[in-house]
Amino acid sequence: MRTWTRATLAVLLTAAVATLPAHAAAQTSAQAPASAAPPTRPFVQALASERLGGREAGSADERAAGDYLASQLMILGARPLPGRKDMFQSFTFTAGSRDGGSRAAVTAGSTASKVFSAAKDVQALSFSDDAEITGPVVFAGYGIVVPESQGFGYDSFATLDVKDKVVVVLRYFPEDADQQTRGILARYSDLRYKAMAARQRGARALVVVTGPRSPNAGTTVPMAFDTAIAGSGIAAVSVSSDVGTAIFAGGKPLADAQKDLDTGNPHVAGFALPGVEMTIKAAVTRERRTARNVVAYLPATAPVTGVDKPWVAVGAHYDHLGRNAHSGSLAAREDAGRAHLGADDNASGVAAVLSIAGALARQPMRKRHLLIGLWSAEEIGLLGSAAFVGAPPVPADQLAAYLNFDMVGRMQDNKLVVQATGTSAAWAPILERVNVAAGFDLTVQPDPFQPTDVSSFNQASVPSLSFTTGAHADYHKPSDTADKIDYEDLDRVAAMAAAIARRVMELDPPPQFVKVEQSAQTVSRTGVRIFTGTVPDYASAAKGLLLGGVVGGGPAEQAGLQKGDVIVEIAGQAITNIYDYTYALDLLKIGQPAKVIYLRGTDRRETTLIPAARR
Amino acid sequence: MRIAIIGACVLGATCAAAAAQQVAASQEREFLTRPRRLTVEGRRAGEGYWSKDGRKLVFQSERQADNPFYQIYVMDMASGDVERVSPGAGKTTCSFFNPETGDILFSSTHHDPRSKTQQEEELKFRASGQERRYSWDYDPEMDIYVRSAKTGAYRRLTQARGYDAEASYSPDGQWIVFSSTRQAYERELSAAERKQLDTDPSFFGEIYIMRADADGSGVRRLTSVTGYDGGPFFAPDGKRIIWRRFDEQGLIADIWTMNLDGTDQRKLTDFGAMSWAPYIHPSGQYVIFASNKLGFENFELFMVDIDGKKQPVRVTYSDGFDGLPVPSPDGTQLAWTSSRGGGREGQIFLAQWNHEHALAALRAAPAR
Repeated sequence: MRTWTRATLAVLLTAAVATLPAHAAAQTSAQAPASAAPPTRPFVQALASERLGGREAGSADERAAGDYLASQLMILGARPLPGRKDMFQSFTFTAGSRDGGSRAAVTAGSTASKVFSAAKDVQALSFSDDAEITGPVVFAGYGIVVPESQGFGYDSFATLDVKDKVVVVLRYFPEDADQQTRGILARYSDLRYKAMAARQRGARALVVVTGPRSPNAGTTVPMAFDTAIAGSGIAAVSVSSDVGTAIFAGGKPLADAQKDLDTGNPHVAGFALPGVEMTIKAAVTRERRTARNVVAYLPATAPVTGVDKPWVAVGAHYDHLGRNAHSGSLAAREDAGRAHLGADDNASGVAAVLSIAGALARQPMRKRHLLIGLWSAEEIGLLGSAAFVGAPPVPADQLAAYLNFDMVGRMQDNKLVVQATGTSAAWAPILERVNVAAGFDLTVQPDPFQPTDVSSFNQASVPSLSFTTGAHADYHKPSDTADKIDYEDLDRVAAMAAAIARRVMELDPPPQFVKVEQSAQTVSRTGVRIFTGTVPDYASAAKGLLLGGVVGGGPAEQAGLQKGDVIVEIAGQAITNIYDYTYALDLLKIGQPAKVIYLRGTDRRETTLIPAARR
Repeated sequence: MRIAIIGACVLGATCAAAAAQQVAASQEREFLTRPRRLTVEGRRAGEGYWSKDGRKLVFQSERQADNPFYQIYVMDMASGDVERVSPGAGKTTCSFFNPETGDILFSSTHHDPRSKTQQEEELKFRASGQERRYSWDYDPEMDIYVRSAKTGAYRRLTQARGYDAEASYSPDGQWIVFSSTRQAYERELSAAERKQLDTDPSFFGEIYIMRADADGSGVRRLTSVTGYDGGPFFAPDGKRIIWRRFDEQGLIADIWTMNLDGTDQRKLTDFGAMSWAPYIHPSGQYVIFASNKLGFENFELFMVDIDGKKQPVRVTYSDGFDGLPVPSPDGTQLAWTSSRGGGREGQIFLAQWNHEHALAALRAAPAR
């Protein structure tokens, strides 16, 4: 792309937008009706323009977008938070990590130590500490610990003393265990879990080897995208089968040990390797970058002394995937390198927030302050909103509520999904009353554990709502463009949310926070290793998994599945929703055909899908 | 939005719409456009009836923290304001606007001294996490009340022991038709009848009519066929009454109409299923009702011409419950109770009603 100086770009953008007929600034004139909210279209078009290149967190594009947003907020009448000179809240984050030259040396008895330093033989895990550790070696099987609360009884470390040792574990989980056992063990087989378990038992280093009986046998674990700022308190590397052979040279071969463990029998234990010692040097180079939240407010119209929780917050993330996206991109191969413009994700949400701010700015009476938060680095882990609630310029306990907007520009059939309604008993009555006039076909979801910034505010015990019109075929692709946004309905969403914000501003007492228990279903599933090549679509309230597409050449396509099919059963597991589906993935075996029952139109059909390994 | 990618599977989506259901949804949309959930608050809500000007809807909902039973609420269809209009204690059900005065009638047990204890027991039961099938208990304490639109004062219209409910006004506001099980408490029952009363009190339900200014006297019984007769409403011209009649086992019900004196009883449906909750469209030309013809727990809305000469036409295509349809006074909207929002509990839904399409579909329907 061409380089612009930041200031020039901001001016250009503002100017470009100002020429559009419906620009927000044009409506702030005295002639505009007091109730009119700024239309959302110009905001979306500016944010989702090629110039802003997809607004990747920490990039020059994101800085330019932040400048544009600050200028728009200024025009709408918002100002920097009290005690602040500008609207930016900067934070640093890890934008990527690579191996910084890790090594491993194995000494067995009196033989000379074997040193491995090639990338194919030893790789630091992305969350490893930078450290050099030498110690005796203990093999701890799969290194899996199922919490006692699960009532299952599986602890790879139960009979082993690993204190100050180098712990060698197998990647994944027992291969031959029955479906139910695999389903449980898979949940605790993430490498971070294994590292944590080893560290808690006093181990100094974790060495992961992919067993000969597992998918990706003998290869190292590719460095995962990880936004961790620092290591997780243990040196952790993965090693090749050559290193594995050196470790197990003097005793039971690894293949035999794995075979015993693969039964899933919890009484099969690992063992110490007498006389074997390893030196591990783990090195991770983390690339640090700075991103900015744009935070402003509209002050209350009267002093807020005596008002309980005198702030109401509205927010949306403004970053997207940029051009060279991380694992988040779903672009087809031929689109690699194109800007992901993110019109729906999440220029639409930002536009809604700006429209709400504009509407409330014209309101003569505001009992509470309106905080406006436009977050960055959401796409790589809700980092912006987490930075806000981690060091809040306004204490979280002063927030009466937070309203979040993420992908609100692609309404279908008048359907609006409102999430996190379980965070306060105040929400249902407010939504019911406001929606009588707004007239959306509402779907209400109590769960606040959503993959968007509302999660951060729920964790800070702020009563929250999150609005979305759902995912679609252009999700996380360069084709998520401004011309596909339904502006009329986006304006309606903003108007409804402004009405909610108005009600909350007046509410005395403010909404009371209710803690929603996180169901096992929504726990992060980073351990999944199966690749089926299915792209689930989004809609509400029906049974099955609707496919929004299939990955070209993937197992689903090879099985004859296509966009629009609804998977209702896989490998004997009934599928009623996406959680059932991801759970069922744990039970599949790579390379082993699984029966899939699906609906095509009204036809009930059957096919066989052969899952592949995910690297 | 950040949706975890799992083997190129996009997470975070909630459920998926089955393609088959999308086809069904498009059929439903020929009658009902822009359907939407109207009530959100509370565990369940249902039976929404319109004021004469269509600006208000009166309905029942379980939404009061200290009372697990239905109370009666009025929603302002312009502002969205919702106000409770029943006393707050005991059980209530089946409200209706007086078309002339705006008074609201409903049935209630709040005079029962055991109300508070019953509320607490039910709350305790629900807190225990146990579940039981939803059932209506035909509480013999249930009596009909009317709330004055002017003063908000309540007046008790029935005194008799027995379930007095399912009441509605005539279009001129002068008459009330309702269902009651009072016969079971007025006379000596045989042993078999006593057993019947214990297991299914609705068996004794019959249709009655009284003057709207009544004090419990001058009530006339209109039906006398064995089995539950209930859910009566006046036709828009006030000349006939429509209701549902169950068989003796209480499993099969059909839609009937009759004159105001109980004569000329005519049966409109013959599904051999549970067809109930009829309401006549303001045009007077057809009836919208609910039936489980397609599955015991799958109630759908149907409609049938006012004389029942044609076969009924299916209106809704949605799993679970769709029932208790009530068209707006101008005939352009339909409020009904549905579980399509998820879970088993019903909430009130609202949609635009395509009257022209309904007439065309009825014309095209084969003869019965």
